[in-house]
Amino acid sequence: MTFSSAYFSCELIHNSMEKMQPTAVFFYNPKGAVPDPIDYNELASYVLKFPFVKQVWQADDFLWNEENLLSRIEMYQLDRIIIAGPVPGIMKTLFSKVLSLSGKDPANVILASFAEYGIRKVTDIARAKSLLATSLFDIPYEITAIPEEYPVNPATLVIGGGIAGIQAALEIANSNNIVYLLEKTGTIGGKMATFDKTFPTLDCAACILTPKMVEVNQNPNIRLMTYCEVLDVSGTTGKFTVKILKRARRVNVSTCIGCGTCAEKCPAQAPSEFDAGTSMRKAIYIPFPQAVPNKYLIDAESCIYIKNGKCRACVKACPVPDCINLDEKDQEVTVEVGNIIVATGYKVFDAKRIPQFGYGVFPNVLTSLEFERLLNASGPTGGNITFRSQDKKGNWIFTPESEKPESIAIIHCIGSRDKNYNKYCSRVCCMYSLKFAHLILDKLPDAQVYEYFIDMRAFGKGYEEFYERIKEEGVSIIRGKTAKVEAKNGKLQIRGEDILLSKIIENPVDMVILSVGLEPTEDTEKLCKILGIPQSEGGWMEEANYNTSPTGTIKGGIMIAGTCQGPKDIPDTVAQGSAAAAKVIQSILKGKVSGDTDNPDPEKIEKHILELTPTL
Amino acid sequence: MPVRLQPELRHQLIQYGIGDWNACYHCGTCTAICPLSEEGFLFPRKKIRMMQMGLKDQLESSVEPWLCYYCGDCSKTCPRDANPGELMMSLRRYLTSKYDWTGLSKKFYTSEVWELAFILLFAALVVISFLVILPSMGFHFTKELTADKGVRINSFAPIHIVETFDWIMAAVVASLLISNILRMYYQIIWRKSTTKVSLWVHIREFWRLIFNFAVQPKFSKCDDKNYWVSHWFLMSGYTIMFIVIVVYLKWFQTENIYPIWHPQRLLGYYATAGLLFGLGVAIVGRLRKKDIKFQFSHVSDWLFVIMLTLTVLTGILIHIFRINGLPVATYICYIAHMSVLVPMILIEVPFSKWSHLAYRPFAVYFAQLKKYAVPK
Repeated sequence: MTFSSAYFSCELIHNSMEKMQPTAVFFYNPKGAVPDPIDYNELASYVLKFPFVKQVWQADDFLWNEENLLSRIEMYQLDRIIIAGPVPGIMKTLFSKVLSLSGKDPANVILASFAEYGIRKVTDIARAKSLLATSLFDIPYEITAIPEEYPVNPATLVIGGGIAGIQAALEIANSNNIVYLLEKTGTIGGKMATFDKTFPTLDCAACILTPKMVEVNQNPNIRLMTYCEVLDVSGTTGKFTVKILKRARRVNVSTCIGCGTCAEKCPAQAPSEFDAGTSMRKAIYIPFPQAVPNKYLIDAESCIYIKNGKCRACVKACPVPDCINLDEKDQEVTVEVGNIIVATGYKVFDAKRIPQFGYGVFPNVLTSLEFERLLNASGPTGGNITFRSQDKKGNWIFTPESEKPESIAIIHCIGSRDKNYNKYCSRVCCMYSLKFAHLILDKLPDAQVYEYFIDMRAFGKGYEEFYERIKEEGVSIIRGKTAKVEAKNGKLQIRGEDILLSKIIENPVDMVILSVGLEPTEDTEKLCKILGIPQSEGGWMEEANYNTSPTGTIKGGIMIAGTCQGPKDIPDTVAQGSAAAAKVIQSILKGKVSGDTDNPDPEKIEKHILELTPTL
Repeated sequence: MPVRLQPELRHQLIQYGIGDWNACYHCGTCTAICPLSEEGFLFPRKKIRMMQMGLKDQLESSVEPWLCYYCGDCSKTCPRDANPGELMMSLRRYLTSKYDWTGLSKKFYTSEVWELAFILLFAALVVISFLVILPSMGFHFTKELTADKGVRINSFAPIHIVETFDWIMAAVVASLLISNILRMYYQIIWRKSTTKVSLWVHIREFWRLIFNFAVQPKFSKCDDKNYWVSHWFLMSGYTIMFIVIVVYLKWFQTENIYPIWHPQRLLGYYATAGLLFGLGVAIVGRLRKKDIKFQFSHVSDWLFVIMLTLTVLTGILIHIFRINGLPVATYICYIAHMSVLVPMILIEVPFSKWSHLAYRPFAVYFAQLKKYAVPK
């Protein structure tokens, strides 16, 4: 391509740029590597505005080898090369070598990594231009592309009342600022509240979490909004108006004394969400004994009165007048906030999607979340590991009276690292499976425990040591995922290949636990649209910068924390809750919040570059 | 015994089919889901490992690829989209080319130009024989009809000449195939220096070869029984037709028009129906690409199916034209029939896909021998 001296946005830059060394820009977009619809021709004409850009190369212009590059560098007398594209780092070695071979400074290869700055779509072109402008002058993007700042409302909305949301809400509330903590279900606590023990320390999960839940309830700065959903977010950065759907709880939270008389009389039953469906609860229920708020609520889908207009057993039984209002309707409320932290968590993979493992067919094939409830002293069996059995109405539930299994197999990677389902690693399954093995032997010392794994991912502090400890406890750890679970002679037969022995093993066991992976919740897509934040591969919410801003988003004033950003364990989730809160507190102290970073103005950045480089 | 790694073998193997050898992360799902994988003969994962590491000798002495009947369960459940079923198919192509000592098989599998050139060459020879050589030898065909209004086909294709040619072709093809099977035997059984198989075991287990050829019991163990049925019809139709054409041509290529219940016509109709049914399933399957085993069609797969279909269709036309007394149409179809049939037999039987008809039952037999191998 030839030199073009097109109109330039800033005359001063034009003058000073004549001192810059002759540069080539190489757009490296290997075909098929990344879905990449960015308009490279537009970017090419943008960089050619700069008079010191002598050459623009596209990935398929010529063969990228030393010989071709050397001749071009000498022909155009180039001193610097900018490599721009999704993953430019791959080409750096070659270009540095060629520069040094031609007697130039090999350090003059500058990378403009699109992946690092979240440039993926056609609409990211302004950000791509800005990144190129900063790369051309070799100035860090972060110090030039500073978004505008807006005054901030000191109130904060935290969406999701799991451990990440609780942590973030407490951090902000303890800095004496108002937090609205929004929770979709009837209680805060999230998934962690259902766990028995945490890995690798084997602490009691409830003993860590419930004090925090109580603290949330007692903190005067926290406005707890359970059974609520976000409908819409409007307004500008720092001044959001959030429309919230307050679903009808049908029990007055301020007058309910939590006595439970209503539930005793209620004739309708439904599987308990908190117990992952392993036990039954009434239509008027409290999710679990330590729920916050510790108040009842009515599930409209199973309530007989709401379906048929007849019953009212709970109203008759309730000792508090007017506490239960069966005809209560959903309400819409709005709150004004300056910052939003999204901590909506995950859902587990639906094991029924892989029919060969027999979940939903064989009653004693369990998912990990179900087994977590079995282990839990507050679960349906009081912490006893027993077989699933049918109650009088034919529901498959767990009771402490059932018989105990003698052999249990745990199968890893169900729905994770599998291109048919989710290709990512869910990160926590290996460790919680090892934890299961330990807890099984704790409760059933004579049981045979088998772990079927592909690769053991014990990646965190103390995790490898935990793995070693479990191995010493006598668990049979078998390499090879297994292919199917079949019923044979009253047992569950697992057929798999032991990779290390190169033998097929058919192992009859009493109970199978499927270590299901993590998936974004059903609402993630909807919420991302409402908030205007993109989703990464796999459907997770996308962070502003994978390395340097894992809890920020491209939207100013909107933060993400915990597993809504990607699978992670409890310590990482808590850390992100605190990290997101720190950003919020920072903006409240400053009184200002940074605007969106998705669409910087290249012209402003050019001006900024000039201010930063007076010596040019 | 230590093995030599030849990772560069991958580049060579990739020419025999579609597959990503590197995708496999060795979870063992394919081996465990396979209804045919058994103790001592584990596949596909172990074979994929050999491919990844380029264990050439181990691969060439493998019998396992022939024990796989490609139901596709492994590819369906593979978490890495590595397509183990297709890798086994590719390995069968590779082994076919390795058993063949002429080197032509490799050429046919890896170069479409070579394969098409040979087909056209043989077809041209057939046409020249009928139009130039036979007339110059003094055979002149007639348009006159027989007493029962049938075409005098033996005046166009003199039965004794065609039969002689048949036997020559059969002898060439059989000697090639038998030498290939001996090479296969050498690779799988003989070459192993640490074990031996007694002669008595060879004799005692020989019935398996015949039984597996006739019934294909292993194939029936695959989950989809329908495909086994359609393949069995195809195979039985093919075998009957082959025997009738080569061994009993004098009885089959007649100028008489027998009544419809005559064994000659009944056998012919059965074989034709079986062939058409089996081919129909294969063609529809390969076009629809719904079944895993039909998703990746190598050129050699398509050529076999197309050539066999053309042979059957022209054969049907010859029959219809002959009994309806249309001499010119019959003769044209006869040339077309032969110019597809001859290249198909000469190329497919010893060098390409057809050879599995021999390799598969022999592989079951050899696998059985391996089970009774004792240390030397």
